[in-house]
Amino acid sequence: MSIRMILFRKFRLLILMVFLVACTMHIMIDLLPKLEKRGAESADGGCQCAQHPGSDAQGWGKQRTRSGAEAEAGWPNKHTLRILQDFSNEPSSNLSSHSLEKMTGAGDRVEQLRRSGPSEDHKPLIGHQSRARIISTRGGSRLSALYEHPLYKVDLPVLTDDDTLFNVNTDISFYTKATGNQDWHNEDEEEFSPTADIPAESYPHWLRFHIGINRYELYSRHSPVLDALLKDLVNQRITSVAMKSGGTQLKLIMTFQNNGQALFKPMKQTREQETPPDFFYFSDFERHNAEIAAFHLDRILDFRRVPPVAGRLVNMTKEIRDVTRDKKLWRTFFISPANNVCFYGECSYYCSTEHALCGKPDQIEGSLAAFLPDLTLAKRKTWRNPWRRSYHKRKKAEWEVDPDYCDEVKQTPPYDRGSRLLDIMDMTIFDFLMGNMDRHHYETFEKFGNNTFIIHLDNGRGFGKHSHDELSILVPLNQCCRVRKSTFLRLQLLAKEEYQLSVLMEESLLRDRLSPVLIQPHLQAMDRRLRLVLQVLSGCIDKEGYVNVVEEDVVRDSATHRGPRHR
Amino acid sequence: TPESMDGGSKLERLFAHPLYNIQTPVLMPEERLLEAEQLIKYYKKKVSRWERHMKTYSKALNWSNVTVAAHEVTYDPDASWVKFYLGINRYALYSREDPTILQLLKDLQSMTVVNADYTQDEKALKGACDCSQVVKPSGHHLKLALKMRNLAKVMYKPMRQQRDDETPEDVFYFVDFQRHNAEIASFHLDRILDFRRVPPVAGRQLNITGEVLHVTHNEDLRSVFFTSPANNTCFFAKCLYMCKTEYAVCGSPNHLEGSMSAYLPSLSMAPRVSIPNPWTRSYTFTGRQEWEDNPFYCDTVKQQPPYNSGNRLLNIIDMSIFDFLTGNMDRHHYEIFSNFGDEGFLLHLDNARGFGKHSHDEMSILAPLTQCCIIKRSTLLRLQLLAQSAFSLSDVMRESLQSDPLHPILTEPHISALDRRLHKVLSAVQQCVRRLGEDEVITNDFIKPTVNP
Repeated sequence: MSIRMILFRKFRLLILMVFLVACTMHIMIDLLPKLEKRGAESADGGCQCAQHPGSDAQGWGKQRTRSGAEAEAGWPNKHTLRILQDFSNEPSSNLSSHSLEKMTGAGDRVEQLRRSGPSEDHKPLIGHQSRARIISTRGGSRLSALYEHPLYKVDLPVLTDDDTLFNVNTDISFYTKATGNQDWHNEDEEEFSPTADIPAESYPHWLRFHIGINRYELYSRHSPVLDALLKDLVNQRITSVAMKSGGTQLKLIMTFQNNGQALFKPMKQTREQETPPDFFYFSDFERHNAEIAAFHLDRILDFRRVPPVAGRLVNMTKEIRDVTRDKKLWRTFFISPANNVCFYGECSYYCSTEHALCGKPDQIEGSLAAFLPDLTLAKRKTWRNPWRRSYHKRKKAEWEVDPDYCDEVKQTPPYDRGSRLLDIMDMTIFDFLMGNMDRHHYETFEKFGNNTFIIHLDNGRGFGKHSHDELSILVPLNQCCRVRKSTFLRLQLLAKEEYQLSVLMEESLLRDRLSPVLIQPHLQAMDRRLRLVLQVLSGCIDKEGYVNVVEEDVVRDSATHRGPRHR
Repeated sequence: TPESMDGGSKLERLFAHPLYNIQTPVLMPEERLLEAEQLIKYYKKKVSRWERHMKTYSKALNWSNVTVAAHEVTYDPDASWVKFYLGINRYALYSREDPTILQLLKDLQSMTVVNADYTQDEKALKGACDCSQVVKPSGHHLKLALKMRNLAKVMYKPMRQQRDDETPEDVFYFVDFQRHNAEIASFHLDRILDFRRVPPVAGRQLNITGEVLHVTHNEDLRSVFFTSPANNTCFFAKCLYMCKTEYAVCGSPNHLEGSMSAYLPSLSMAPRVSIPNPWTRSYTFTGRQEWEDNPFYCDTVKQQPPYNSGNRLLNIIDMSIFDFLTGNMDRHHYEIFSNFGDEGFLLHLDNARGFGKHSHDEMSILAPLTQCCIIKRSTLLRLQLLAQSAFSLSDVMRESLQSDPLHPILTEPHISALDRRLHKVLSAVQQCVRRLGEDEVITNDFIKPTVNP
């Protein structure tokens, strides 16, 4: 720890240096606004950044929500994409020696924060968003109490370049050279302390989210980016809208002013509506509130495998119809007999006049899920869920008829080694708590090979029935009888009264703009389902013994623990 | 019952009223739709064809493992449907006191179903399915043609909506659900208005496994049946299911209520013409028809045949009053029997899109009345009668609907909406009279006005 502290002080010095350089560049750009190609040249000048808030239209623009006019001048998304792509295609670039600057990257910074603990004496380093959250801890929030629990403080192994999705350091320098547009400034209404003002801070939040992705998680527990990204999803101006091809139900891709993108799922059902009993899992509607709630649930379970999702009221005329270039989408807009704006889009499920989505008169609710890095930059692998359903009205899947199905799975790569099977168990529990029967595939990041978490995408079919617990979703757990110790302990914790899952979920969901996201019966159903999961697990332990069921994974800070799993 | 409290049945008193007892002229043979001989010949032919078909079909079945319930058909020249057909005349589909209608309603409710199939208009589409069509042809909707033991033919429309579901405010008239209870209620309303232009309809709990799946000889129809996750038997309209516009309808577990409407005589015996309604709607999201913008639209209609002479325009106005009372905006065409020529009555078929909103009165449906400002005296007198508390429309409807096995057919708000709408019709007439005078507005039809009670 003491070595870390020394390192840490060194970084602070370094951060200050970088800050100085950034200010210098900022001023230079002020003087030569069009000098894009020569930005890398250094120039002298005092630090006046704070006096020039938002004066630079070439800003990276994450905090630009208030001044929409600057949007067109935002830096071109293509650049970073190309940069990231460049070095993702060039593995040798990852081998460059670890410079000290590297530690200023978002991911590592967060790493530090986690080690030092959120409420300790490093507040100046923490972005204002996370500080706000810490303050609410003291206000007696149950959610903050949860995150204070030792179970939620287990560290990740030290990350190497192989463990992060992108190499931040190379990325920054590459960016500098390619665009010459160094605008590291922060707007002064954002109350950063000088030491926190480091280059990565001025990245748009979505990029910082992408950079923070590592082998073990989509985002870290106390990531300051996360809350900012969620705010962006709600506040950023929508500059263009397109229909997502593929997929069965209507989804829109929304591009924001800061070039971030998100997947929009419009509201199709009211909060109170339940899936009719005669509907098959594959004909069920996708629910925007399920997407939102799934993100919160995943976070409370400490999986952190769902990309950030926020609810938003969207103006269908100004934020969809008027900014889309998609004629197919545009054509389906109409005014309803009640004078509301409606549209139905084009897709294979429920895209017809009968299922038109109507605003009131033009406001529609929806979920906005942050995009993962572009597939050209970070390839993902799609895996077929071994417990996939038949997606047929009459046929049954193999696992439904073979009680020893898991023995087969356990012998099939990639489930025969590593933690993949345990990840499936985590996902099973997650899906059962929501009642999501539609998990036919899952994805991983290709870069991390088989030793990585699985991404929980597409949760819109959860939370369809609060009065029914679909036990078949738990079949993988029943058949395999395996679980991570960390998951098991957290589930037990969440079953306790002071950490009751439904209460935590309710508190977490209160932060969403579309609150209440779930009606009470859905929240209570999660407590009931959690007890069922624990029953299944204790049944397993009785039958097969604790050591055969519960996989020891809690002692993570001994970095060697996960080591052997790396290729 | 509330009826007995204030002294017997209001419905009986209504039908006993002089207005409902005006003698119709004795019918000349050419004023009847069908000749008995012709119909009997047709019936016999049907029976023998059915028997031939069953022979070959059961042979073919021996090679397959499909379970089909074989039902004998009976030849019964006194069958209620035969009598119903013979009773159709140029004034109405049936006469007021005809007991066969009650018998026919009973048969619809209870007689064994021997065969089920798609309807002709669905078959005519030959599986063509254009999901981009906004207005789906009528053949796309879920309905079945059933044959009863005595070879009566029935149209079955399954329940799609709960009684207290209303059409959402954003839904256009051409995408609204078809409601089985609207079909039933429309028949009763038409009878109470003494129009008698809707073929008899009764409600029935059908066992869709036993009475549809197991009696159909249509492979396509059999293939749309499945068992739902809740273990209910379901089936769907192929095209709408494929386009994901509609889900299946499901029994619980086998029983599904629906409306059973008696078929009209086959087109080969009694051809009909389908004529576009001059007050049709645009059937698009934005389009408007001339009548929606031009208050003098009726003046042009009045000059065009067949609306320039006889009763045709008055019949259109009767129909618009009927549709206004039910709230049916989907009357794009109407049908008449070719045999009766232009003087024949209009058939009020396909009323399943009525009774969708009880809290809204769609005044545009009344446009023919408000624009033309004419009405039959007989119709007006009956409407006035039904507005009196002694015969109030809601009370007589409630009572009449109680005879149906699926009662309650309409929820209370729908029934009381009838009274409200009736008053709106009467005040529309009043406004016309104030503007143009009684002689211009109220047309004496073939019935002599009698003394008001």
